[in-house]
Amino acid sequence: MTAFPLTIVTPDGVQFDGQAEQLIVRTVSGDMGVLAGHENIVCPLGMGQAVIISNGEKRTAACIGGILTVLGGNVRLVPTTFEWADQIDLPRAEDAGRRARQQMNAASDSAQLRLAEARLKRALVRESVARAYGRK
Amino acid sequence: MASATIKEIRNRIRSIDSTRQITRAMELVASSKLKKAQMRIEASRPYFRIIYGTLQDIMRKNSDGSLPYLAPVNPDGKAAYIVIAGDRGLAGGYNSNILRSAQSHIEGKNACVLPIGKRAKEFFENRKADIMSLGCQEAERVSVGDCFTVANQLCADFRNGAISSLSLMYTEFVSVLSQKCSEICLLPLKREEGISDKLDILYEPSPEETFEAMIPEYVGGVLYGALCESRASEHAARRSAMDTATQNAEEMIDSLSLKYNQARQAAITQEITEIVAGSRQ
Repeated sequence: MTAFPLTIVTPDGVQFDGQAEQLIVRTVSGDMGVLAGHENIVCPLGMGQAVIISNGEKRTAACIGGILTVLGGNVRLVPTTFEWADQIDLPRAEDAGRRARQQMNAASDSAQLRLAEARLKRALVRESVARAYGRK
Repeated sequence: MASATIKEIRNRIRSIDSTRQITRAMELVASSKLKKAQMRIEASRPYFRIIYGTLQDIMRKNSDGSLPYLAPVNPDGKAAYIVIAGDRGLAGGYNSNILRSAQSHIEGKNACVLPIGKRAKEFFENRKADIMSLGCQEAERVSVGDCFTVANQLCADFRNGAISSLSLMYTEFVSVLSQKCSEICLLPLKREEGISDKLDILYEPSPEETFEAMIPEYVGGVLYGALCESRASEHAARRSAMDTATQNAEEMIDSLSLKYNQARQAAITQEITEIVAGSRQ
């Protein structure tokens, strides 16, 4: 398969910089796949699993927020958080999920509820990506 | 009398020496933290550049004024200031510089403050400023996630008219020896003049929605970047303050040692004179 240059950058630094054959990410309007020669596009990312196929090897990651840009064949994924499936801190994610549920029950106004909901969503995404990778 | 001064001087030297050891240790700790903070600044820069570049691109293509965030919903709303200072003192002018400059900006305005860092919080509490608290008080412990939570909240406040502008005050890390107080106006967003590149870009689902979704990311990204810069500045300021303190301590020890030796010599000379004078009689 033809490869394209892919850069993944978060506020914590560069997570991936190299050639990839395929990228699948969850955008705000659903999953989107990118192959070499994709048209120029900019779209905001949702919360979900990202799949990167590079050198025939498939890697998954939890990818939350940010944007995806394809400009002149260069693909740049700029998420706010990006964690490879094998590096996710599973106990921490489970803990965060439990705490978010408690906060949702205790929330007194809609702003607090929204915050807790967002936390729970992030925790669930991390958990599901880590479990899909086969971790317990 | 002579033996008393000698003892006093010896005690002073000893106490200055232990202070010197402490300042030297603090200097070393600050330099190692500075190195880490500098690396974090470098790491966070590309993220900011890409987000900011894309935002400006969208703004240049949509100049009909339909985009949100370019003007305040409610011009009479409060001006919000995020002020980043440190958690601890002994960092030269780091805290006082940024807090004084923030105070001069805010004074007399219909403003509210979001302090980050214990020193900033105490400073504005003492001055009875209008404080927004979003739960991040210790500058050292604010994470990327916290930055984005705060950014989302502030963007929502801007959209519903609770605040009319958002500025960020932090200490820019110019170099190890020089740090500068800076202010960035985050909202309303300013359009940079320039020529839009000719590339045809598809925005999914739409340019407006992409723009809206990106603003909180932008604010959060800048906030995190400024926090990294401030932390690096704090460590750099502390390092040079402690370096100066160590040097001062060394100078004092040198001059005291000289005095000590002189006093000791004087005491010996006096003793000899007394003995010689006594044997003559």
